[in-house]
Amino acid sequence: MRFAGNTLAIVRKDILLEFRGKEALSIMIFLSLLLLVIFNLAVDIQSENVASLASGILWVVFAFSGILGMGKTSLSERDDGAYLNILFSTVSMESFYIAKVISNLIFLLLMEVFTILSFVILFNYERLIRTFPALAIPLLLGSLGFSIVGTLFSFLSTGSRFGEIILPFLFLPLVVPVLIGGVSATDIILNGSPGESPAKWLKVLVVFDLLYLFISLILFRHIVEE
Amino acid sequence: MKSGKIIRGIILLLAILLPASFYLIFQVAPSEKIMGDVQRIFYLHISLAMSAYLGFGLLFVSSILFLVKKTLYWDTLAFSAGEVGLLFSTLVLITGSLWARPVWNVWWTWDPRLVTMLILWFIYIGYFMLRKAIPERMKRARYSAIIGILGFLDVPVVRLATKWWRSIHPRLAREGGGLDPLMVKVMLFSLVTFLIFTSLLIYIRFRVAWAEERINEIFNDVEDYNG
Repeated sequence: MRFAGNTLAIVRKDILLEFRGKEALSIMIFLSLLLLVIFNLAVDIQSENVASLASGILWVVFAFSGILGMGKTSLSERDDGAYLNILFSTVSMESFYIAKVISNLIFLLLMEVFTILSFVILFNYERLIRTFPALAIPLLLGSLGFSIVGTLFSFLSTGSRFGEIILPFLFLPLVVPVLIGGVSATDIILNGSPGESPAKWLKVLVVFDLLYLFISLILFRHIVEE
Repeated sequence: MKSGKIIRGIILLLAILLPASFYLIFQVAPSEKIMGDVQRIFYLHISLAMSAYLGFGLLFVSSILFLVKKTLYWDTLAFSAGEVGLLFSTLVLITGSLWARPVWNVWWTWDPRLVTMLILWFIYIGYFMLRKAIPERMKRARYSAIIGILGFLDVPVVRLATKWWRSIHPRLAREGGGLDPLMVKVMLFSLVTFLIFTSLLIYIRFRVAWAEERINEIFNDVEDYNG
């Protein structure tokens, strides 16, 4: 499998690069921590309201920290035209895109685990740890959706002026279904009555992921061909 | 100038249809029993909403055609349709709000249709922001075509998600049910009128934009020749 080999090689490169430079990941992690603090100052999270606020706050933090971090990873590809060299080699655009989606997904998941841990510590909400195996599913599906759209858009906006400002503007309205699906599924896992299942929301996430992965694979070449 | 004649014909036709549809809406259509005259705004509101979707739909199709054919003709049509769509969706949000205040007693409610229109509105604001930010003509066309395609595909997904999302919250009861046959006729008349009006606006916007496009091309050619 040439495709898989190429893809994994790029993922490996991204992860190595990230662990040496720690640029995107540190932006994401510190921003998520900062946002949690800001949220606490704005809404005053107490033990009475933490259960009802948790899912919403977490997903807003994921979306904002995520999109800024993803902007950074594609910026470093753009900076010295590094991605062009990859595309001039035998690597196909599709495997390049998939690799970028996977490495962004890994960074997102790392940031999310960190955010959840910080949330547990800052707001004494241990239920997040106990339900973590169930939470992992919407987390994975939602982050995949973020990564699929975020990767595409980050390449698109870094090619323009004021890219950093435009990126959230393009990204946030489009991922509204992911936000709704992720928040609702998380909320049911945390607060739902015993019989309640988040299945319907996971379906929304799966539909979004499949639809946008398919379309993005077709469209990605129109962004990088120059 | 055959197309010029057709356009003049359509403008003439609209000069009759538009006042006629306003006459029908305000004079002929019966007054709604519970909501009263406020309900008349709905003839406009629905027509505007369909017109907005016509604009965004055309933007979607032209964006695909641009990526296939790579000629600026389709990009010009795409953003012309998008501008008209954005204008009408703004009016939809405003007329909807004006209607909701007396009837639902709120300016805004998080109903699936409202949310879908609002999200769409934001997506196309982003579309035009991106266009402003990219000076290179072909790149601008390519990038915005991608937003045009992805944005429109979001409509059914947002609609589905917001519908389910609302269903766990209290829902505002929808009035209506059996519409008076006369109301249906007035509705259809104003809908058709507005769709023709929208198409005309898009066409005229396109003609202007396309002329600009060609003038720019000539300027560039002259500059290349001199420089």
